[in-house]
Amino acid sequence: MYYPYNTLNVYEPLNTYTKKSCVYIQERIGVVSMNVNFNNRDPVYLQVVRYFKEKIAIGDLVPGEEIPSRRELANRIKINPNTAQRAYKEMEEQGLIHTERNHPSKITTDEKILSKVREALLLEAVETFVTSVRSINVPVDELLNLVRTKYTDDKEA
Amino acid sequence: MIEVKEITKNYGRKKILKGVSFTANKGEITCLIGINGVGKTTILNAIMALTPINKGQILINGETINKNMFEKITFIPDAITMLPQMKISDAMEFMNDFYTCWNQKRATELLGFFKLNEQDRISSLSKGNTAKVNLLLGLAMDVDFVLMDEPFSGIDMFSREEIAKVFTSHLIENRGVIITTHEIGDIEHLIDKVVLLDEGIVIKEFSAEEARENEGKSVVDVMREVYQK
Repeated sequence: MYYPYNTLNVYEPLNTYTKKSCVYIQERIGVVSMNVNFNNRDPVYLQVVRYFKEKIAIGDLVPGEEIPSRRELANRIKINPNTAQRAYKEMEEQGLIHTERNHPSKITTDEKILSKVREALLLEAVETFVTSVRSINVPVDELLNLVRTKYTDDKEA
Repeated sequence: MIEVKEITKNYGRKKILKGVSFTANKGEITCLIGINGVGKTTILNAIMALTPINKGQILINGETINKNMFEKITFIPDAITMLPQMKISDAMEFMNDFYTCWNQKRATELLGFFKLNEQDRISSLSKGNTAKVNLLLGLAMDVDFVLMDEPFSGIDMFSREEIAKVFTSHLIENRGVIITTHEIGDIEHLIDKVVLLDEGIVIKEFSAEEARENEGKSVVDVMREVYQK
């Protein structure tokens, strides 16, 4: 039998387990959801998908981790339940999550998809950065040096 | 589904509604928007048959409004209709006596949801809490459709946020909601469909998410385009 959490006592009745995992999910998503700032001009469901991708890329959501139900998510990040439904459908189509009947959805364990998510986010960030510095017309070596110092400085601080 | 078909309404010589049509689906939040006096409340009243219409038809789940309909639909007016000297619990009992679709369990849940004390008298409540009691009395009914008239008007930001939480909770799961509001920014992310009214007709009926996806416009952007040209 497969249990998602090592800490789980297998002798616990099922309902306590479910409650426990719900609280766990609520706490986690509760903490991370504080920072969701939706903009008004992009479709909300795509913003939700992106939010999940970021969480996966940073490692806040780990492969195989259970994610909240659609209703729970809608409640947490204050979006329309239909939108949450659509976001989950989109993520399922992209292979980010998978859902078995009568079970909570889980983050995929497919390494290929997961590394692609990280790559895509990184590429997008670099593109934005490049577009904004290009107008300054700085030699690439100088720029890279600057990036190197800034990046390590910020990390240490 | 609520279908409003070509309804017209005159107050004396003044034509308020000149053929308004739109639909509101179950499981969706439909928002009626328009400047004051455009006839939003009149439309809600017409759906509830509280005011006669001159022409047109309103169908609820394919049927015209009849006696049984009032167990399927509820109207939450912009001001509370209970007597001020009543306690919240009295108001709840009153509803329980008059409506078979009243759900006491949900009412108790809503008391907790809005953090209200049922022993408080309505006259002693702040404006925000009065609005919450008003919503509670409507939302506790087991109905398919909920009509809300200006649930946010004149209420502080935090109470508005609490009220907006209703829309994302299980409390309106699978129900159809029609809401009128001027505080569109508060609920822009929460609504499915927008119906823009002006000069007695529907100027535009659109899905909020599609406007963002296909045109990159927020609901407020679309409103500016329509009303400020």
